[in-house]
Amino acid sequence: MSLLKYESQQREPLIDGNKDYHQVTEDIIRPIEMKPSTLWYIGFFISVSLLLFGVYSVYREVTYGIGQWNLNKTIGWGWDITNFVWWVGIGHAGTLISAILLLFRQGWRTGVNRAAEAMTIFAVMCAGQFPIWHMGRVWMAFFVLPYPNTRGPLWVNFNSPLLWDVFAVGTYFTVSLLFWYSGLIPDLATVRDRAKTKFRKFFYGVTAFGWTGSTKHWQRHESLSLVLAGLATPLVLSVHTIVSFDFATSVVPGWHTTIFPPYFVAGAIFSGFAMVQTLMIVVRKVLNLQDYITMGHIDAMNKVIVLTGSIVGCAYLTELFIAWYGQNPYEWYAFKENRANLFTPYGWSYWLMMFCNVVSPQLFWSRKLRRNITVTFFMSIIVNIGMWFERFVIIVSSVYRDFLPSAWSTYYSPSIWEVGFYLGTFGLFFTCFFIFAKYFPVIAVAEIKAVLKTSGENYKAKMTEMEKADSEKFYIEEVAHAH
Amino acid sequence: MKKKYWQSFGELNYTESFQESTKNEFKEELPLADLDDKGILEATTPRRDFLKYLGFSTAAAAIAASCEVPVHKAIPYLNKPDNEIPGVANYYASTYVNGGDTIPVVVKQRDGRPIKIEGNELSTITNGGTNAQAQASVLDLYDNTRLRYPMQKDGKSFKEVTSFDAFDKMVGADITGKSIALLTGTINSPTTLQLINEFISKHPGSRHVQYDAVSYSGMLQANEACYGKRAIPSYHFDNAKVIVSLSADFLGTWLSPVEFAYQYSKGRKVTGEKVELNRHIQFESMISLTGSNADDRYTHKPSQIGAVALALAAKLGVAVTAPSIADARLAKGIDDTVAALNANKGAALVVCGSNDVNVQIIVNAINEAIGANGKTINWGMTSNYKNGIDADMVKLIDDMNSGTINAVLVYGVNPAYSYSDSKKFKDAFAKVTSVSFNAAMDETTELCKYILPAHHWLESWGDAEPKTGYYSLIQPTINPLFKTRAFQTSLIKWSAAAGSMVNDYETYFKTYWNAKLGSVDVYEKALQDGVIEPASMPVAGGTYNGAKTAEAAAALASVKGAETEIYFYEKVSIGNGSQANNPWLQELPDPLTKVTWDNYAMISPAMAKALVGIDVMTMEGGQQSNYEVHPEKPVIKVTAANGKSVELPVIVLPGMNKNTIALAVGYGRESANKEDTATNIGKSANGAGKNVYPLIGFSGTNVNFSVATAEKTGATYPLAQTQIHGFTEGRAILHETNLKSYNANPEALLEEVAKERESITAGGSKDFINDATIYPNFEKPGIKWGMSIDLNTCTGCSACVIACTAENNVSVVGKQQVQRFHDMQWLRIDRYFTGDMENPDVVFQPMLCQHCDNAPCENVCPVAATNHSSEGLNQMVYNRCIGTRYCANNCPFKVRRFNWLDFTGADSFPDNQKPILGGYMDESVMQMNDDLTRMVLNPDVTVRSRGVMEKCSFCVQRLQDSKLEAKKQQNPKLVRNVKTACMQACPTHAISFGNVNDKESDVYKIRNVDQKHRSFYVLEHLHVLPNVNYLAKVRNTDRHIGGEEAEA
Repeated sequence: MSLLKYESQQREPLIDGNKDYHQVTEDIIRPIEMKPSTLWYIGFFISVSLLLFGVYSVYREVTYGIGQWNLNKTIGWGWDITNFVWWVGIGHAGTLISAILLLFRQGWRTGVNRAAEAMTIFAVMCAGQFPIWHMGRVWMAFFVLPYPNTRGPLWVNFNSPLLWDVFAVGTYFTVSLLFWYSGLIPDLATVRDRAKTKFRKFFYGVTAFGWTGSTKHWQRHESLSLVLAGLATPLVLSVHTIVSFDFATSVVPGWHTTIFPPYFVAGAIFSGFAMVQTLMIVVRKVLNLQDYITMGHIDAMNKVIVLTGSIVGCAYLTELFIAWYGQNPYEWYAFKENRANLFTPYGWSYWLMMFCNVVSPQLFWSRKLRRNITVTFFMSIIVNIGMWFERFVIIVSSVYRDFLPSAWSTYYSPSIWEVGFYLGTFGLFFTCFFIFAKYFPVIAVAEIKAVLKTSGENYKAKMTEMEKADSEKFYIEEVAHAH
Repeated sequence: MKKKYWQSFGELNYTESFQESTKNEFKEELPLADLDDKGILEATTPRRDFLKYLGFSTAAAAIAASCEVPVHKAIPYLNKPDNEIPGVANYYASTYVNGGDTIPVVVKQRDGRPIKIEGNELSTITNGGTNAQAQASVLDLYDNTRLRYPMQKDGKSFKEVTSFDAFDKMVGADITGKSIALLTGTINSPTTLQLINEFISKHPGSRHVQYDAVSYSGMLQANEACYGKRAIPSYHFDNAKVIVSLSADFLGTWLSPVEFAYQYSKGRKVTGEKVELNRHIQFESMISLTGSNADDRYTHKPSQIGAVALALAAKLGVAVTAPSIADARLAKGIDDTVAALNANKGAALVVCGSNDVNVQIIVNAINEAIGANGKTINWGMTSNYKNGIDADMVKLIDDMNSGTINAVLVYGVNPAYSYSDSKKFKDAFAKVTSVSFNAAMDETTELCKYILPAHHWLESWGDAEPKTGYYSLIQPTINPLFKTRAFQTSLIKWSAAAGSMVNDYETYFKTYWNAKLGSVDVYEKALQDGVIEPASMPVAGGTYNGAKTAEAAAALASVKGAETEIYFYEKVSIGNGSQANNPWLQELPDPLTKVTWDNYAMISPAMAKALVGIDVMTMEGGQQSNYEVHPEKPVIKVTAANGKSVELPVIVLPGMNKNTIALAVGYGRESANKEDTATNIGKSANGAGKNVYPLIGFSGTNVNFSVATAEKTGATYPLAQTQIHGFTEGRAILHETNLKSYNANPEALLEEVAKERESITAGGSKDFINDATIYPNFEKPGIKWGMSIDLNTCTGCSACVIACTAENNVSVVGKQQVQRFHDMQWLRIDRYFTGDMENPDVVFQPMLCQHCDNAPCENVCPVAATNHSSEGLNQMVYNRCIGTRYCANNCPFKVRRFNWLDFTGADSFPDNQKPILGGYMDESVMQMNDDLTRMVLNPDVTVRSRGVMEKCSFCVQRLQDSKLEAKKQQNPKLVRNVKTACMQACPTHAISFGNVNDKESDVYKIRNVDQKHRSFYVLEHLHVLPNVNYLAKVRNTDRHIGGEEAEA
């Protein structure tokens, strides 16, 4: 009997159904070995189409200029940076699930961590597009890299939060990618071992890095996972903190706010979990993985959503209060008029954000609703709309009316190419995700098996049997035999 | 024995030679010798070198293949002109003349191209000031729509006439024996007038008709009635302690605004222990540039101007009966004005912008009553800005119709467009032989039989006499670009006796002035100076005859107004429309409405509420915001009393009279065939606004108002504004007070600001610079550039904006881009309203890069493309900029301008100026990009490419120039002479610039000594430490200034 982990009878199993190890492998690896469904093809086609539209939108912007977007002399950033922050935020859940929950020994993470990590990587890839392509002269983008050069040498400006972004997002992406990939190796080896076609043998052979499953491999793998988890944990907090510095360190009323770092991190986790929900609900249905991504998972993630949503709501009220209490007329105007006043041009976006992020997640105090797939799916979309509007509200509604009323802007709404760029990142995200879902195990098989030892129906049955059994007999059969 | 197999005989025999040959089978030695071979690195191509060579050649091939560098040929002079040093500018004195508007200027010429107009400081009339139109006129020189050769009508189009001789012969034959009318604008050139007289004497039955698109006929006739002279006197606004203007926009467009603005500003300077300012009271129907500078302002319906004048006259003791004034505020205003005028007899001036002769007669009576004649109105020196008499034009049309006049030579005017009854003119014009001397194709020239384009003034010789005895000479600064000829040369050729020695204007001009001035030396000095002026201006009164007063009063008393009336005005940018194809002027925001590229119907908030259902007075339901933030404005149809109508979008402006619709003339230029407008009249003029000249009421004399009806059409039309919100929202952006409070305690003006500073600093320290930050402060030794802008003397005329555009190669972006808030002007003039909506006060605040010492833009740039110079400049490094726009977001003043599209054609991406979809680049932008127009670019300033940020540089090229000059001459004091473009253009000298570390500099003195009680920085509390300070506005009124906002 494994005494390392005691599972409460109250707790629902992490894996449903009477699974044995083989069954787990079959369930998760089988889709990789089958032809994809029509649904997959349709989804993939739509994603690639969106991606191509995005590529064309970016092409237009690069060729003709940022004037293809509806930004203006007052609103320097609009949809571009809104989308950047939104995608980076979404990227947070993956690392949180895989790293922080690993450190906290949360067994339930195993069902969703692989897909969540993949989502992180794809989301960060999408996020990265915006700061790159929003540059007026993107062909000079390498100027932001500090390297010895022949231009003086001319160095970057280490004071600039945008430069910090370059490092923060770059590091985050690298660590997330490594973490994800190192976790994949044992599963890739499993696929390799089952492979029957030449391509699969070759592809998974190369990608599995010669994994044999020896104890030494496992030992190193576990240590690496822990080290990377240790590295990734502070990143979960730092990336969005640094992203928030883009605003917090500026002078713009509505941006210049010390509450931003924690508020951004909470918001990021909030939106990240919502995105995981959206994806997982689809994946478990399409790939028939209800036994692995259980109601318990959905319930747990909804709890995180209601927690972080409430933190975010608390932050909104705090900044509103401080804007009033702080007696800075510019800041108070930004909050009172630009945002909270429904009759100013962007008042609607503030209240939409409030509704989506603060009011609607409160539904999840009810266990019944937390465990309702339809409600969860719907809510996860609402939350992501809300979080998109949070960034939009912060960016646009602050800057469109700042210090000098003479420079107050006309109404900003995106051009088709701005929208196209955003849709393009959806295309990129889902194209990557569809490829991932088809060619990689969407659930960490090895980790599920580890959990299976300590959870699930089989385990419970075994435990019951064991408890009933004669301890003498148990010793003779199990313990003595083993030695 | 082992069996032996062999392949060849050689192998079988195994001879020595075979052994040798097998050994050397692979003769070439491998470059890789054994590892212990010491020669590895000395070998001809060792492995590492091989890789190096490979890498280098690949890279070189890639670079050579991919980077196609355009070849630009620079051809050196074969014989270098003496006065031409490449890269060094020459300056020539000349004169800007446009239909009587006369401004003595100095033309900056680089490598043979005039590129910038500056005011001539030797002129005592303008004192180095210019206006927007003069500044922009350099661009007209390079206008692609200028006519390039003489032409004659050929069916519906024109064909080239190959030579001037052929043209002279042909036209000469056609006009011989005919009665000719010379139809020109106001001409104040003595040589031209003399030539016209000679021409008329040679052609019996001929006459000279002067026609002004915006007429001052009423004033000329009134003066004839009252003073016996059909002339306009000189005004001395600087001698007036009280200035009352009845609808005269003397700071913007009335007669000689540059001259008047300078005089006016003398009385607006806050100096001395006890400050004295002139008092300016404006009565008007719209809110004009001048009205918005007034200390007190009252509005009335356009038809009421006579009643107001009569009321003033009656109360000042003129024997007239005034109709009663119903509006209590207006009536009280009249009483106050009368009191002020009575208290300042002999030091007061009333001017009037009405073209109604009767109103002007009453105004003359008022000026007599207040003793202005001989003090503020100078009949000893008449001015020659406008000579046109409306009745002359009426007679000309009648004569053309009757055949009394059967040939018309048109020079410098465009009545087919600007005449109120243009159809009548065109019909008559078709009956006569017509020759046009206009430089560019226009509505009138299109109708002419012959066209002989004249030079642009920058290519011409010439002279002007803006005031009797004050001459200003014109000399060419570039060879004529096209096959054009001076109008005067034609007059000479067509009137000279056979065998005359003088057959061109240049010779005539030189002979005339040499004879007049006595010697070549004096002539050359005059040409160099540009102006010839008497030692002092004689001031004398005219002999007044008030006989017509009663008659005029009776006529005015019977004027019937209507519920809604139209008031016609000129904008400081487009004026009467002669420069409508100038993209700089089209893109110059109107100082009050901030609209570019269009005219519109200006209406009051009250009328907007009633007419189109927009209540801008309320924030309720977001009405104000909605009106502001969307460029689409409701269109109304305005029908004038003469039945003509026009559909124009509305602009709701506080301060408009609630019954008045104001329409700007000068827009809506259109070819006879509408599709030809872009090619004939120009891409910029095409589609800009609507022509409202036809709506002007005409009753024997042009009157600049009309009774009207207005109705909502339900349509909308986008207007491109550069500023949409006009209220300060109580922010510490500007400060103002009234004279009484200022004199009582000047320190009180900025007390609040000082208190706020102390509230920010640690422990209430007075050292704001050092103690309001946790960061260490830097020493700023040596030069530290700074600017000071006096809000009291800035009139908002916008000459500086065009000057900046011309000096710094600022892009024109076209209407659609302005509408998208993509305008590029480095210097803008912010306009704020204070007080109540019906009678607001207006403040103009020129806003440019503040060159903050603690600049928020600098620390956010990831690549340090914007940084601080050791001289206090916030400098922009274009080729380092990657265009993240973070700096623009973080600029509290929002003065940074981003190159959204390839406005200049300087981009390395080909064919990207005409995007297929969603591009919105106007044709007018292309106009700025053709090779001819590009000649106007200042070679000292980089043309920015797409994707980089730009902004005011304090004219760094001029600063560098002045420093070099100072170094060359070993005299650091020379940097005190430096002037930025905006400062140099300013007619009121509201801008000062210099080294603030230099205790002798103007800026230092203004900030620390002379004006220390008025000097403030915008958004100072942010501790961005701007290098531009403003001087608070002081109004000469007893009202509390600034409404509640100032108290807040």
